[in-house]
Amino acid sequence: MREAISVPYLKAGLKEWIFTTDHKKIGILYLTTTYIFFLVAGLFGLVIRFEQNSPGYQIVPPDFYNYLLTGHGAVLLLWWGIASHIGGLGNFLLPLMIGAKDVAFPRLNALSWWAFFGASVLVLLTLIPGNHIKMMWTGYPPYAGNPDAGVTALYVFIIHLIGVSSIATAVNFITTYIKMRAPGITFWNTNMFVHALIAANVIQLVGVPSIAGAVTMLLLDTYLGTNFYNPAKGGDPLIYQNVFWFYSHPVVYVMILPIFGMFSEIVSTFSRKPLFGYTSMIFAIWCITFLSFIVWIHHMFVSGVPDWARVLMSYTTILIAVPTGIKIFNWMGTLYKGAIILRVPMLYALGGIFMFLIGGLTGIPNAMVAIDLGISDSLFIVGHFHYVLGMALTFGIFGGITYWFPKMTGRMYPENIGKLSFWLIFAGANIFYFFQMIAGILGNPRRYPDYPPIPEWVTLHHIQTIGALILGVGILVYTVGLIKGLTSGEEASDNPWESQSLEWRLPSPAPVDNFGDEPPKVEPDYHPYKYGAPPAF
Amino acid sequence: MEQVFAYPANWWGEAVRVWLVVAVIIYLIVAIPGMYFIMKYRFKPGEREVGDHENHGHWGLEALWTIIPTIIVLVLATYSFAVFKKQRTAPPDSMVIKVTGFMWGWETEYLDEKGNTIKKVLTVYNPTGYDLPEDQKIVVPAGKPIKALLTSKDVIHSFYVMPAMVLEDMVPGRITHLWFQINEPGEYWIFCREFCGTGHSHMFAKLKVVPPEQFTAWLKGEPSVANKENKAEKGENI
Ligand code: HEM
Ligand SMILES: [Cu+2]
Ligand SMILES: [Cu+2]
Repeated sequence: MREAISVPYLKAGLKEWIFTTDHKKIGILYLTTTYIFFLVAGLFGLVIRFEQNSPGYQIVPPDFYNYLLTGHGAVLLLWWGIASHIGGLGNFLLPLMIGAKDVAFPRLNALSWWAFFGASVLVLLTLIPGNHIKMMWTGYPPYAGNPDAGVTALYVFIIHLIGVSSIATAVNFITTYIKMRAPGITFWNTNMFVHALIAANVIQLVGVPSIAGAVTMLLLDTYLGTNFYNPAKGGDPLIYQNVFWFYSHPVVYVMILPIFGMFSEIVSTFSRKPLFGYTSMIFAIWCITFLSFIVWIHHMFVSGVPDWARVLMSYTTILIAVPTGIKIFNWMGTLYKGAIILRVPMLYALGGIFMFLIGGLTGIPNAMVAIDLGISDSLFIVGHFHYVLGMALTFGIFGGITYWFPKMTGRMYPENIGKLSFWLIFAGANIFYFFQMIAGILGNPRRYPDYPPIPEWVTLHHIQTIGALILGVGILVYTVGLIKGLTSGEEASDNPWESQSLEWRLPSPAPVDNFGDEPPKVEPDYHPYKYGAPPAF
Repeated sequence: MEQVFAYPANWWGEAVRVWLVVAVIIYLIVAIPGMYFIMKYRFKPGEREVGDHENHGHWGLEALWTIIPTIIVLVLATYSFAVFKKQRTAPPDSMVIKVTGFMWGWETEYLDEKGNTIKKVLTVYNPTGYDLPEDQKIVVPAGKPIKALLTSKDVIHSFYVMPAMVLEDMVPGRITHLWFQINEPGEYWIFCREFCGTGHSHMFAKLKVVPPEQFTAWLKGEPSVANKENKAEKGENI
């Protein structure tokens, strides 16, 4: 057998990790970094949660609270929401799924990682008291340039570095997909995860320059006295919001599309059945990608933009429900008459799909401009995106990690711990986020460390805290499972789930040079979801 | 007919109910069969080891669940458009007030017919509590539509009239607007809902809705001096 990447990874020396251009190692670097950042930002979330538990400033002063919330939002969106599955799982899986030896530009890939690493260091620097950033992840001027908001430059440079990393990755992945597919891998037998990954990176390529421009103008305004956003000198703060959301709305699809891709992989494998509606799934992905660029005003429904713009984008926004609906219906179609096996990855994928259903249905009132006028900037919106990000996205990543764990580490993720963690997280997150939405419907503004003692609000906050505690324990259990799996997990066979997809033809863990010098032999009727024979497990 | 408590909250509430009914129905239509499939089509060794692999899709079904949702969402968006028009169009007999946000309080101006300011109420930052002296409350008459013109002196804030379930950002360099009408006298919350810094969660005001006669008397009254005194007094304990 060819030499495996490293069993365990700890055996690779520091030098190898630093100078590596191997997509698998870079993937692992991203995944570990983002996981640690996820844990820390989750801890920030818990502190925020306790602070909101009762009226009055409880445990942290408001300006420190603002730092925690800025960190929580920015890290969970950029590290957990994007980098964990694009830089992490995406790097690891893309070449394996298309039968390539590496990505198209391995050294550029290393550059992406190091730019990302730089951004991570800057985030750690903000932990130093004088360096706090408190403008929230959205960084709206004029506030973001105000001394009360902390060190504007750090915020801007974090976005810049993440942007460099994202653009380089996008160029790399798109080229890899176009140029490096093994003979026999075509558009019509590509994994859904890869389809989604490419769509997500097209969004990155088109969108990132826009947010980079927005924060660059913020930097110039703050330090060099330009007036892009200064109304006193002919500027307009709403320019920032437009340019910012032109990217930052589509970015939610950068986050969620690859998750949808993973749901498709997992649901098909564990239903022992071809993915239902493969073609309409691809159609839906590209529909979403296109629509995502013409809906950004729904983040600005109460920002003072003209009424006609609000109505127009209310229509475009609500239309996105259609392709997303197609995907949900197709997953249900895949379950129909399947032979469903509820292993840990499948539990997470199904949980994620059902929670996305709620996330999607609670997204509709945000698109209906008449309702949004009353719930904008309330805890309702926070509850809604926690359903999408805190649950659907997180379940997708957790499920993906357990699913490809054997291919990455050569070991199995422990089944019992996985199931326990799933039910804890599922219960806790639902209690927490559901009542967060209710608090918002009752008027509770977001980003409020303190609030008047309105009895209904107080009760709702107490319930949320209980949910958050259960959720926290669940995440801890899942983490214990990761460590246990890595150190003493059962040894994995090459294809423990009996998947039909290309990456499972490799030994576990995947060897250094993937398929070797010759591209893998892909049969003419290859399809990643060609299930027919019963599995042996 | 039951008396409407507040505009545009009544329309907002109606829209929320419409959405909720649609959402719950869709949820049940998807979740019940989904759960049923998961229970029914379980893998059983020797019995059910492989799913139905003849079916890779069904164009009829896929078309159906594209077209029907499209119709549903377009109807919802159009309904929301109709409500939105009412929410955004202040009745012609509205009383106009001007509210300016700042870090972290509000200044409310009452205008005469010519648009001159005849009275100002200053609501100052209370960093620790949620009570407000009488003369810092924003007073409006019950049963009369109020159009608020909004702007800001520094960063972006927003003006959320909780009983009316409506808000709009206060943007420096721009004048934005919203309107509301509260029919029952009482005291209600106003909050800033656009993040504006350390004092954001204490940027609030009280909306004091009084019978119209009482409002006229109040408007003629002389509390702007008290308001100034109060500001100085507050200034000490900041
Ligand atoms: C460990 C579990 C989590 C806890 C306890 C938690 C808790 C919270 C709380 C209390 C807020 C503040 C709401 C407010 O008053 O505005 C918040 C905001 C937020 N959370 Fe979480 N959360 C968790 C997981 C996540 C995840 C996994 C994501 C995304 C992937 C996420 C993304 C966000 C974002 C973007 C915000 C808004 C930040 C802002 O207003 O700028 N959270 N979270
Ligand atoms: Cu404010
Ligand atoms: Cu505010």
